[in-house]
Amino acid sequence: MHYQGDYYWGYYMPTRSIGSDPMERVVKLASEKAVVIFSLSSCCMCHAVKRLFCGMGVNPTVYELDQDPRGKDLETALMRLLGNSQPVPVVFIGGKLIGAMDRVMASHINGTLVPLLKEAGALWL
Amino acid sequence: MANHRVGETGLTDSGPSSNHHHHHNIPYAVLHGMNVPPSFMHQEGSAFDFGELEEAIVLQGVKIRNDEAKPPLFTAGRPAATLEMFPSWPMRFQQTPRGSSKSGEESTDSGSGVNTISSKTENQVEPESPISKKTSSLDQQQQVEMASDISRTGTSQNQSAAAKTPQEKRRGSTSEKQLDAKTLRRLAQNREAARKSRLRKKAYVQQLESSRIKLTQLEQDLQRARSQGFFLGGCAGTVGNISSGAAIFDMEYSRWLEDDQRHMSELRTGLNAHLSDSDLRIIVDSYISHYDEIFRLKVAAAKADVFHLITGMWTTPAERCFLWMGGFRPSDLIKMLISQLDPLTEQQVMGIYSLQHSSQQAEEALTQGLEQLQQSLTDTIAGGPVIDGMQQMAVALGKLANLEGFVRQADNLRQQTLHQLSRILTVRQAARCFLMIGEYYGRLRALSSLWASRPRESMMSEDHSCQTTTELQMVQPSQNHFSNF
Repeated sequence: MHYQGDYYWGYYMPTRSIGSDPMERVVKLASEKAVVIFSLSSCCMCHAVKRLFCGMGVNPTVYELDQDPRGKDLETALMRLLGNSQPVPVVFIGGKLIGAMDRVMASHINGTLVPLLKEAGALWL
Repeated sequence: MANHRVGETGLTDSGPSSNHHHHHNIPYAVLHGMNVPPSFMHQEGSAFDFGELEEAIVLQGVKIRNDEAKPPLFTAGRPAATLEMFPSWPMRFQQTPRGSSKSGEESTDSGSGVNTISSKTENQVEPESPISKKTSSLDQQQQVEMASDISRTGTSQNQSAAAKTPQEKRRGSTSEKQLDAKTLRRLAQNREAARKSRLRKKAYVQQLESSRIKLTQLEQDLQRARSQGFFLGGCAGTVGNISSGAAIFDMEYSRWLEDDQRHMSELRTGLNAHLSDSDLRIIVDSYISHYDEIFRLKVAAAKADVFHLITGMWTTPAERCFLWMGGFRPSDLIKMLISQLDPLTEQQVMGIYSLQHSSQQAEEALTQGLEQLQQSLTDTIAGGPVIDGMQQMAVALGKLANLEGFVRQADNLRQQTLHQLSRILTVRQAARCFLMIGEYYGRLRALSSLWASRPRESMMSEDHSCQTTTELQMVQPSQNHFSNF
């Protein structure tokens, strides 16, 4: 798992230059890595999602929004995106929105998750 | 009966006697701590009775006397012997020499003399013996004799009968005819009394047994109602054990179970009737939506009372053994099905195993998430200085609210697993598969019922009718449980 901290962001993305639109940020961050998880460090369901991917041998990129200075905005954006009261966890694979925990599990059960992961290069076996 | 008669005769005398009013079905011998052989106590309508024993003995004696051609007489010696038997019962009756007063009447009952029970009331005695509650037509003095006869043990009865015969031999003045008639009538009355006593005892035992059955059924119902949250008068919210959300869900669940039975019989008839695939597909799809419905209901229930779901109080005890996050564990279900789903194509086999694998991974992820929740909760409320207890509790409450999410995800997993199964299998296979699932849980529920009503060894020695009643219970469970067998 890669945790993205302020320093990392500061290095790659001067926060002022990218539009302050949180939604854009979300999309941008999501498309940079094969598997992106937006999370909160205190959220147990996020922990479950992380364990799910690690259990499959996937190395997801995790953004802990409570450790981001503008995390609140991102949370709001995610809530709008999903139409959900829970902003996290939200999973993107290959830049595409998969959804919250229920969608992730549904896609794993119906067998569509693994092909997506392979397609995004997150899984080789 | 006893009280009624006492009222009639106005007897309210000695203490020991009055105590006997209520023991009208306990044999006198037991009441007075006599050493009664167990065989006498446990006769329920058996052929043996005192009347017959005494009859046999006396007839034997009569035969001996007849052989000797010197018929003895039953005389007033008998009443004396009778009186000695009941030292604690003061008998207030006119002592008339039996022989003289009865000989005139009994001469009319010639040799046949079996069942003529005359309605003599020459004595105002109320024997108060538990056995002696005879009809008013019986001679009361003879009642006393019968009481003493019937309640005696076999050995003492033999002795007294044997004692009678020498007595009878000694007084040999009455005619043979009289003796026979009198003896026979007495024997008949004894038989009658013994028969009545048997019937009373049988009735009492039957009453006891039916009450016992009723009691155990009531207890079962109460237990079932408690575990499923039904309360009379709809006071579910106030009775403390169960919340209204839980009660509502329990009602919906039990209705769902009834629907389940209906769906399963549809599946069964559909399979046996060899319906076309499209027709069978309709039935299978309706069964899947039937399951979708319970998952919908559980969403609302998780919101209302997540602990009711998580603790499994909505299910039966045996199901609760296998409970995982408020329901069945999907990988366990697939494990159960795998061996029974043959024959499968290779692709299907791969699909099933992959389904099992992914559900195991999902279950593991959810379990770990829940573990983290538990750890976080412990950290919040355990130890440390209780500086701000309310704050601590508020945080803990917030964390506890996450339980609902886990139960929802677990139910989601269950739902997805069932859907995927129906995708992998053919229509016929899916129909068989869902039938298997329904039957499996039906049997698990039946197991719970049987367990609840199983006979307990420790009770066997106290109450030997326990075995019978529990066996009765075991063949009585509801249709729900046994219609599949």
